[in-house]
Amino acid sequence: MAEPHILNNPPLVCWSCHERSLGTHFCSSCGKLVQLAPHIDYFAMFEMPRKLWVETDALERKFLQLSWKLHPDKYASATEQERELSLRHSSELNDAYRTLRDPVARVEYLLSLEGMRKEGETKQQAPAELLEEVFELNESLDELREAREAAGDLAGLKARLAAAEENFQGKLGAVDAALQSGAREWDAALDEPGGAPDARKKLLERMNELLNRRAYLRNLVLNVAKELAA
Amino acid sequence: MGRIVGIDLGTTNSLVAYVDAATGRPRCIPGPYGSALCPSVVSLDADGSVIVGEPARRRLLTQPERTIYSVKRLMGRGPADVRDELKLFPFRIDAASQSVIRVRLGDKLFSPPEISAFILRELRNWAEAHFGETVDRAVITVPAYFNDAQRQATKDAGRIAGLEVLRLVNEPTAAALAYGLHQQQRGKVAVYDLGGGTFDISVLKLISTTEGDIYQVLATNGDTHLGGDDIDNELIAREWTKRGRAAIAGVLGDAERSQAVRAAVIQAKHALSVAQDAMIQVAGMGAESSVRITRAELEEVARPVVERTMKPVRQALADAQLKPEEIEEVVLVGGTTRTPLVRETVEKYFGRKPHIELNPDEVVALGAALQADILSNGTQNMLLLDVAPLSLGIETYGGAVAKIIPRNSTIPASAQELYTTGVDNQTGIEIHVVQGERELARDCRSLARFTLGVPPAPAGLPRIEVKFLIDANGILQVAAKDVRTGEERSIEVQPSYGLDDAEVERMLEESIEYAEQDFAERQLVEARTEAESILVATAKALATEAAARISGEERAAIDASVAALKESAAGTDYKLVRVRIDVLNQATTHLAEVMMNSAISTALEGRNLAEV
Repeated sequence: MAEPHILNNPPLVCWSCHERSLGTHFCSSCGKLVQLAPHIDYFAMFEMPRKLWVETDALERKFLQLSWKLHPDKYASATEQERELSLRHSSELNDAYRTLRDPVARVEYLLSLEGMRKEGETKQQAPAELLEEVFELNESLDELREAREAAGDLAGLKARLAAAEENFQGKLGAVDAALQSGAREWDAALDEPGGAPDARKKLLERMNELLNRRAYLRNLVLNVAKELAA
Repeated sequence: MGRIVGIDLGTTNSLVAYVDAATGRPRCIPGPYGSALCPSVVSLDADGSVIVGEPARRRLLTQPERTIYSVKRLMGRGPADVRDELKLFPFRIDAASQSVIRVRLGDKLFSPPEISAFILRELRNWAEAHFGETVDRAVITVPAYFNDAQRQATKDAGRIAGLEVLRLVNEPTAAALAYGLHQQQRGKVAVYDLGGGTFDISVLKLISTTEGDIYQVLATNGDTHLGGDDIDNELIAREWTKRGRAAIAGVLGDAERSQAVRAAVIQAKHALSVAQDAMIQVAGMGAESSVRITRAELEEVARPVVERTMKPVRQALADAQLKPEEIEEVVLVGGTTRTPLVRETVEKYFGRKPHIELNPDEVVALGAALQADILSNGTQNMLLLDVAPLSLGIETYGGAVAKIIPRNSTIPASAQELYTTGVDNQTGIEIHVVQGERELARDCRSLARFTLGVPPAPAGLPRIEVKFLIDANGILQVAAKDVRTGEERSIEVQPSYGLDDAEVERMLEESIEYAEQDFAERQLVEARTEAESILVATAKALATEAAARISGEERAAIDASVAALKESAAGTDYKLVRVRIDVLNQATTHLAEVMMNSAISTALEGRNLAEV
């Protein structure tokens, strides 16, 4: 995972005109593509605040506008230096768009920007309150595999697994809803400056946990779906 | 700097096109036989000269062991990959081939990029003849589903042919570009491209903005091993069964017989696109042995192939998060889409009639020419945003794959990974990059392996950031940086299935020799043809009554020139032939005038001035 970011990109000296440039992509003096700052802030790239609700149409419009200016096709006859820069800028742009366009990736990215993204405990292991259900699920999965090998009756087992899948799918839905409400809370806090930094930190920690739980549940649901489809 | 063209390097046929500056529209360049199609067939003559295209295709029947077709199936693949192909295709693969395949033509060995380079050179010659100028840059198309090695092999072929490859463009995207310009359509478009050996499905969004038109690929999927060839092979197998090996064996030699059956089957298949039945007539076997085949029988054979295309179609739509009815336009590309069954299946699935207005054989080359124009002028207000067709991953402990760039990511795309050492004083970190969607590295396509050099240090201390970048061609670039020192280090990447730079350089030099040979060959053929026609004309002229009116000296000079020209035409010096053509032309100038006057007076006889 990349290092936590500094909020603003520091101004660079343009390679072409040697003036100090403040632009993310283009030199504010001569207009040429600048070197990329070492750590790009995706929100800054799209000139958006670090809010979790994004107007997708506006995001797409900005993406297409920037694509026109940065895409390597527009630099095919330019100098080697400019071609190299355009390659880097446009790949960053595409990565930024891909990240900000997906609501979950957006949260993950914000957390990493704020230095609060920690994968770990609950990603690989079942959260405490789900332990029993997960245990039952694993037993059902084992039974299905055995029955399959023994060419036994699968219908009943499959029905149970389908029910379990639905159950976990529901929990996943609940996590997504919690993430959405957390996102709204975050955005609201941004609109009211002067809120307690402690509260913000706790919110981010909560969302981090939710992301981990989401990853775990998603994995679970995928495994069950795969087994049922086999 | 010379001119730039767009090239469709196809499995069955290849084409070259350019944008007409006057109209802004793309056009295909025809070859010496008047067709824009150059069969992707290469033959090596006994005297070492290389023959490409229609004449080579004919040699499939007469000299199959010196001729190769569908070489695209071998590009970017290793000997182990193509073992199954050998059961169906007469590729003579050298047993000593290691990571790059070498095929045998006659007594020489060539790699697939070298063979493709012969085809590219031929197209380049067509273009140079058309413009009267050098052509040294091209945009070449590839199937959207081609992996990194297959793309690199195509780029290598371009280089060996002496072309600077400005961009590799995905075939469905190129077709969308051609249709977009032609039809001025916007919205969600699906391009279904079924060629001789590959299948691609691409879902695009065509958007108009103030800057111009954007062709944004949402998702792409396909099968680089599925096409018209598979239908042909199935039909061929049925023919063998129907007629019996013995019947065919008795008449033709082994390799020739296979090619004769293949040619007959393909001809019948084409006929069945418009007729309800056709005859399979194997050359050299006599008319009484012709076998009838109906469209229904062809469809029975083609159905499994068409069914196989629907899986990638469904996946691409799922990845684009669209339902079939949400697609507003459907475009068919590739010769095999002429098969009625294909059209019906596609129409049924999408619930609308697919577009077939543009020639499915030409549309990809036309799109490539448009992209070439965008790159060389920058004035076309069109932009292509394409995607990586396969996920890029790194092999991790236990042989699993960590995906770092997901499939259908808009390119250029990048990802960073931070590496450190696990053991004290470890001097190298092994990295294995793969492409594909499977969970285990061994089930994915190996792209490259490399070793990060690290200065000796305690375990866990070094921090090397590796940046993986998929460029606008869909090809991987790797760069590494020591995070602590900021030092950028270069990486020696060993492609798993590719030629290294030294090999490409060597092949380029060799191909230049072949090219010079080709040029001389062609000049000689043309000079001889011209000599032929002037000799015939002269003979006719000498038989007219006008010939009686020229002096004895003049007649002697003409006869001497005729003899000299005949002698040179039998030789190999094309320059001498041209010189002697000029001499004969001069020697017969007066005779021509006499004939002309005589013709005029004959025409005028018995007419008055008003009628003339």
